[in-house]
Amino acid sequence: MKIVGIAACTSGIAHTYIAKEKLVAAAKELGHEVNIETQGTIGTEDELTAQQIKDADVVIIAADIKVGGKERFRGKRVVEVPTHIAIKSPKALINKIESELNK
Amino acid sequence: MFKKLQLKKHALTGISFMLPLVVASGLLIAIGNIFGGNPSTISDYKAGYSIWEAAVTLGVYGMQLLPGVMGAAIAYSIADRPGIAPGLLMGMIAQNMGAGFLGGMLGGYLSGYFVEFLKKHLKVPKWAQGLMPMMIIPLISSVVIGLIMFFVVGMPIAWASEALKNFLMSMQSGSKAVFGAVMGAMAAFDFGGPVNKVASLFADGLLMDGVYGPEAVKICASMIPPFGVALSWLIRRKRYTKSETDNIKVAFPMGICMITEGVIPIAAVDPIRVILSCSVGAAVGGSLIMLLNVGSMVPSGGMFIVPAMINPWGFMLALAAGTIVTAALLVILKKDAKEEDVVVLDEEEDVDLSDIKIG
Repeated sequence: MKIVGIAACTSGIAHTYIAKEKLVAAAKELGHEVNIETQGTIGTEDELTAQQIKDADVVIIAADIKVGGKERFRGKRVVEVPTHIAIKSPKALINKIESELNK
Repeated sequence: MFKKLQLKKHALTGISFMLPLVVASGLLIAIGNIFGGNPSTISDYKAGYSIWEAAVTLGVYGMQLLPGVMGAAIAYSIADRPGIAPGLLMGMIAQNMGAGFLGGMLGGYLSGYFVEFLKKHLKVPKWAQGLMPMMIIPLISSVVIGLIMFFVVGMPIAWASEALKNFLMSMQSGSKAVFGAVMGAMAAFDFGGPVNKVASLFADGLLMDGVYGPEAVKICASMIPPFGVALSWLIRRKRYTKSETDNIKVAFPMGICMITEGVIPIAAVDPIRVILSCSVGAAVGGSLIMLLNVGSMVPSGGMFIVPAMINPWGFMLALAAGTIVTAALLVILKKDAKEEDVVVLDEEEDVDLSDIKIG
């Protein structure tokens, strides 16, 4: 699969980046292509490109707060979870999404 | 129904917008007070003022903005950009009525949902569509929710805030100790999870209403788990595996910055003992904070903001006591680690994923 996503947490300094790291590591290990944008207190980093979004099979939003720029994902399959799910069991999450998409 | 409203997500969005403002404002007040010897705020700009008076004044302005920013951010989270204007206004009402943080939150929710309702259900002719976001929505929502704030919900919340504040300020040592212990244990209990968030929200709210003790409890309780684990490692290295040791080396500096989450990998291997030790240590720290009248006007920043606290030595004492208790409990309760435990770290926690829907 090709995955894009956004990570954002309340204080925007720790969980945001942990969630990103976990998702990227898990996705790579499972053989998926992945790009995650972070919306921390510092602002948006690693912003997703239009091409990345266009190519993506699924959008994973791991956020405890409102994220910006959701309109970019119009027409995409979008999954929204709190950051703790992406942090605690990123692989199970990705596998679950994959099996749902293949249904 | 309640799940659909996403109350928590909107509150957290509010907090996330508010945090940088409250840190800047709190530090400005603290710095001005430390170097300027508790200067007053500027009352007459023509009369001249010192740089420390300016710092304190700016900090106070920031604090007064908090209910507005909270309201605006919550309304924005619910209704996107059109929520910001009414949300700000409702926060201003809350601030001036004495309904503070709670009033600001409620104003944010009310204006957010109302704007969302208007966006969906108010139909205007095509020529007036440009007026919707520019005039119709901001005006109607400000008038309607403003009236509700002024004449219905504002005063009761102001009374409730006042009562809560008076209760906390007038607590005697016994109840202070219990309150500090409960707050501390909650803040440390799940290392930044939902229980911690409840304690944290409560402390942040009280901070806006001018009660600084609970915030200091929160800071202390966030730092005791990483410090306690690090100290127990120094005392008894055998209690931890190699990879746990690596984790502790990361958790300690994170702890200095008041990030508790570094302890999660340690707690994941041995949850009951680690959580118990950390919560008890944090409860001890929290009690001491309240008893020693420590306070913090700054909600985050860890060791770096200790000098800016009210009674910093009291804070250090509470932190040290909590750390020692946590470390002692860990040394006593934990068994020596076996190296094969390492594997456990790679395993994922079981999380219920059945709710997840792909939209």
